[in-house]
Amino acid sequence: MTPLPSQPGHIAIQQLSVVFGTGKQSFLAVEDFSLQINPGEFVCLIGPSGCGKSTVLNSIAGFVSPTQGAILVDGRLIEQPGGDRGMVFQQPSLFPWKTVLGNVAHGPLMAGKPKAIAHKIAQDFLTMVGLAKFAKNYPMMLSGGMQQRVAIARALANSPRVLLMDEPFGALDTQTRFMMQENLLKLWSELKTTVVFVTHDIDEAIFLGDHVVVMSANPGRILKDIKIPLPRPRSSDLLIDPTFSTLKKDCFDLIRQESLQAFEQQLK
Amino acid sequence: MAGISKQQASLNRWTLILSIPLFLGGWEIISRSGIVNPVLFPPPSLVAIALYGWAKEGTLLVDIAMSLSRVLVGFISGAIAGILVGILTGRYQFIENLLTPVFQLLRPIPPIAFVPIVILWFGLSELGKWFLVFWGVFFTVWIAAHLGVQKVDKNLIRAAQCLGTPEQQMLPQVLFPGSLPYIFVGLRTSISISFYTLVAAELAGTFSGIAYRIDISQQNLQVGKSLGGLIILGIISAIADKSFGVVSKKLVWWK
Repeated sequence: MTPLPSQPGHIAIQQLSVVFGTGKQSFLAVEDFSLQINPGEFVCLIGPSGCGKSTVLNSIAGFVSPTQGAILVDGRLIEQPGGDRGMVFQQPSLFPWKTVLGNVAHGPLMAGKPKAIAHKIAQDFLTMVGLAKFAKNYPMMLSGGMQQRVAIARALANSPRVLLMDEPFGALDTQTRFMMQENLLKLWSELKTTVVFVTHDIDEAIFLGDHVVVMSANPGRILKDIKIPLPRPRSSDLLIDPTFSTLKKDCFDLIRQESLQAFEQQLK
Repeated sequence: MAGISKQQASLNRWTLILSIPLFLGGWEIISRSGIVNPVLFPPPSLVAIALYGWAKEGTLLVDIAMSLSRVLVGFISGAIAGILVGILTGRYQFIENLLTPVFQLLRPIPPIAFVPIVILWFGLSELGKWFLVFWGVFFTVWIAAHLGVQKVDKNLIRAAQCLGTPEQQMLPQVLFPGSLPYIFVGLRTSISISFYTLVAAELAGTFSGIAYRIDISQQNLQVGKSLGGLIILGIISAIADKSFGVVSKKLVWWK
């Protein structure tokens, strides 16, 4: 049995600005960032390092409070973290003292589900990421890629309306990363959760996203929201598709300009 | 074992086996040689006889039981209080602000300095002994738990929040297990601290206990019995420390 798909959420980011620190030390990380994400959409945020893409994600998660503007998920103002917005971090961040099953069952248990049902849900999601036989293992016995699959299963098992992913495959080797990307698309096509995916890898962003939002650095602003018209389901053949190459060049040029500017600013 | 010759391996094994016998043998020879005063520095054979006599009187077991009960009550109550308060001060800024200045002021006071006032407060009762051991254990465990909570991987806390973990579940689900490795270091240090404070506690008006017996025997010039008491104390705290090490490895196996 496949688990019930969660209700995908709508995200409205309205003129978001985030300032870190106060006085002379203060730093404008994100400025006037507005974005609408429709239910079930897969949106990638991309930009040079330090462009505030993680800050935008952390604001949706509720870890960072907006200095100005607001974020609404399904019309509800975001003020703090909550189970409706699942998150996958760059590090798997699994609870080392819990088994793989215990990690994935954590969300359903916290939502008040009885233990037997929570374990059943966890088992189903582990099956979906292909790790059912590792349910009784502890995270540290698993490879980095497997741990990250557990982290994805853990976030999805909680039936979030929105899945936030902060460079989740950044620490993995190229082969594993590619497998993970295809696996993620397959999961997403079954569950249709709204996904916001932060990365600095252009190929990854275009391969995964319905939209790629390119950001500028210092302060973080939207440079361009690029629609990715590539058909789904997507496979590795896309990487040699001429449309893919054109999109990649567009993104690359935008980011390259930005990176150069950021670099010159640092030299000043 | 790779890289170590057979001879080296057997030498290593024998030095380990002979360590304690060689120490006792050397002690016996020096005591009997006349270099030192044998009354003040009796050989281990006489210490063993004194210990045997102590056991035969029937007071040895009572003394051990009394000392152990004082250490256990003080240690367990100090550890529980230290862990609870440490997790609270580590997690909540306002509790930290309220308690930390006071604790930092009280913490450096050596438990032994409390002995006169403890006699005034609690008389010669057991409560006074428990209090002294508690005092020694509490602050060490509190600091360990406090730092432990603050060092819990921030991403684990964030991950738990994104999974809808309510704040009251944060403590048992994430903060406590996450700080356990630090808490155990604090608890292990506290074991030896509780034996130090036990000695202070038993020198302060009591009628039983290993440290009390060491003190009384010294006054009667029963030096063998005094030294025997020291050995018993050493053995008990070594066993406590080692078994705690084994237990903590089982309980925080992921570190």
